[in-house]
Amino acid sequence: MSTAQPIRMTRRGPGLDSLLGAVAEGIDQGLVPVELFNDEDVFRAEMERIFARTWVFVAHETEIPNKGDFVLRRIGLDSVIVSRDDTGKVNVMSSHCRHRGTQVCLTDRGNATHFKCPYHGWTYKNNGEWAGAPHMREAYGEKLDAKEWGLLKAPRVDSHQGFIFASLSAEGPSLKEHLGGAAWVLDTICGLHPGGVRVVGSPERSILRADWKSGAENFAGDSYHIDTGHWSNEVTGYARGTRENNHMVRRLVLDGGHGFLCHALEQMGGPFLHLWGYPPHVQAQFDLSKMDEVQVKLLNENPPTIGNIFPNLSYLRVPSTAEAGKPPAVTTTFRQWQPLEPGLMEIWNWQFTFDFMSEEDTQHGYAVGQYIFSSSGMFEQDDTVLWEGIPRAGKSVWHRKAETMLHYRQTGIGTDAQRKPEPDWKGPGEFYNDGFGEFGQLNFYRQWLQLMRQDPEGAR
Amino acid sequence: MSNSKETAVHAEFDAMAKKAEQFLARETVLLDDRRFWDWFALLDDQVIYQVLIRTVRESGADEFASTGFRQRDDKSMIETRIKRLHTGFAWAEDPPSRTVRLVGSIVVDPTDDPNVLAADSALHVYRHRAQDDHGDLIAARRRDRIRFTDQGPRLLSRTVLLADVVLTTPNLGIFL
Repeated sequence: MSTAQPIRMTRRGPGLDSLLGAVAEGIDQGLVPVELFNDEDVFRAEMERIFARTWVFVAHETEIPNKGDFVLRRIGLDSVIVSRDDTGKVNVMSSHCRHRGTQVCLTDRGNATHFKCPYHGWTYKNNGEWAGAPHMREAYGEKLDAKEWGLLKAPRVDSHQGFIFASLSAEGPSLKEHLGGAAWVLDTICGLHPGGVRVVGSPERSILRADWKSGAENFAGDSYHIDTGHWSNEVTGYARGTRENNHMVRRLVLDGGHGFLCHALEQMGGPFLHLWGYPPHVQAQFDLSKMDEVQVKLLNENPPTIGNIFPNLSYLRVPSTAEAGKPPAVTTTFRQWQPLEPGLMEIWNWQFTFDFMSEEDTQHGYAVGQYIFSSSGMFEQDDTVLWEGIPRAGKSVWHRKAETMLHYRQTGIGTDAQRKPEPDWKGPGEFYNDGFGEFGQLNFYRQWLQLMRQDPEGAR
Repeated sequence: MSNSKETAVHAEFDAMAKKAEQFLARETVLLDDRRFWDWFALLDDQVIYQVLIRTVRESGADEFASTGFRQRDDKSMIETRIKRLHTGFAWAEDPPSRTVRLVGSIVVDPTDDPNVLAADSALHVYRHRAQDDHGDLIAARRRDRIRFTDQGPRLLSRTVLLADVVLTTPNLGIFL
């Protein structure tokens, strides 16, 4: 007998509050309103209530190893300089001059002691402090206050496993609290060697005609799309076993909107896929003594392969080959879904390696990684198209009139599917022994809703 | 005597250079017509095809230094891509883009290998995907090496230098 339930939604009025009410009502029924993926009010509120508040990834420490090194990055729509100053401290600052707002930095990377505005010449130290201006005596009589007239600085900057995050809010949970169980997972991914991980090359960037949330929710837990969206790779023989994939996937749903998928890789492919399939000479260097016993068990049985750290930093580590029959390599990528406009984003794709790994092993992993997940990637290029229809639906007059709710009910809400987390799981969050179920996606939207309903001005 | 020998060498280079230019033009027809296997037949067995990542840097600095690549394929990797394009499930190019390639500003130079020429060309690809309202323009310079074999000229290497630092077409589902 079917337990399927009809959708029960209140007809809604105009405005953001009404829409957020519909999200709240929908999530409990496994439903998400389609306008979320293309709406001016939603987007504006996301910039203010999520990106200008929570912890956002800006760079990895290995991208700016030396004093004076900087990279130009983004927090929401804001252009930020991430620099290592003369004391070795990392600063995250707005790239706009305090005199007229001109950008003091227009290059992606470099090394600088100072940033000089090209308009009137106001100059800032690489820690953001105001350092001087041309014709100072005639123009201003005395020096301006270095801190008061310095570049805007992110009030909070912190890092975990070398991943630098910034928060534009002085208040709120610490990075450790924000990451929660995601920090525990990051440790299993990056903490296998005391030297940690480092970035290889420069991040690769492309504009996708999709909403940033589509990338985030996909990596937070969508194993269901693989044998349809990426089926071409099964047909060519490049990838095998995508039909069985969901049964080999384990799902980790974490507080704070973070979600990971893990794969029983050895069960899928054999012992050579132990620890993602890193070659024996690499595995010989791994040190798991700092891991707790749940982390060790997870690594040995179901290493984390895919994930999203709320809001927009995603992860993928899989074994793959340059072609069927060639020796496999393990690739590690982190990617960020940068919002540009409602329904439009820029993807940034970083490739990582363990710092101790040889140049040869590093380049092998890089080549294999770019072959599957990059602008040319044989998996990723299809995602870029699959997510494009969603903002079009979000903007559709018909769908808005119909108040369309999208179906996130694999969790078992409103359907016959019965899914329960593993009762004996000792790690953070909830662990499911199944790739089906859209728990990670709904968990992402619950966190999204929580922040969106807290007006940062304190109006609510 | 030496003059006529020099003239003969020049004539031979000019003939090869002309063939190299024709080769680049023929490629655009094959790719625009989606005759991928015919294009594949023009690749040298040793071919390396790569598209580099570019960064915005100050004047004089190397925009490509240690950046890595968006794509770097050998012949077997390209073969897998072409197979994929024919599966009916390669959504990035199914339905396929309509493309028009314009190749020009070609400069051909000799290399240390008498059978290999270096060809530098500019490429504009107009790519109109599926139901998009507008097509995308992909602009690049290409640094190629073309090997002359008994079967004719073959692409030995291609390095694509995109004008875009941020790719504005959503993927590199087409060959450049």
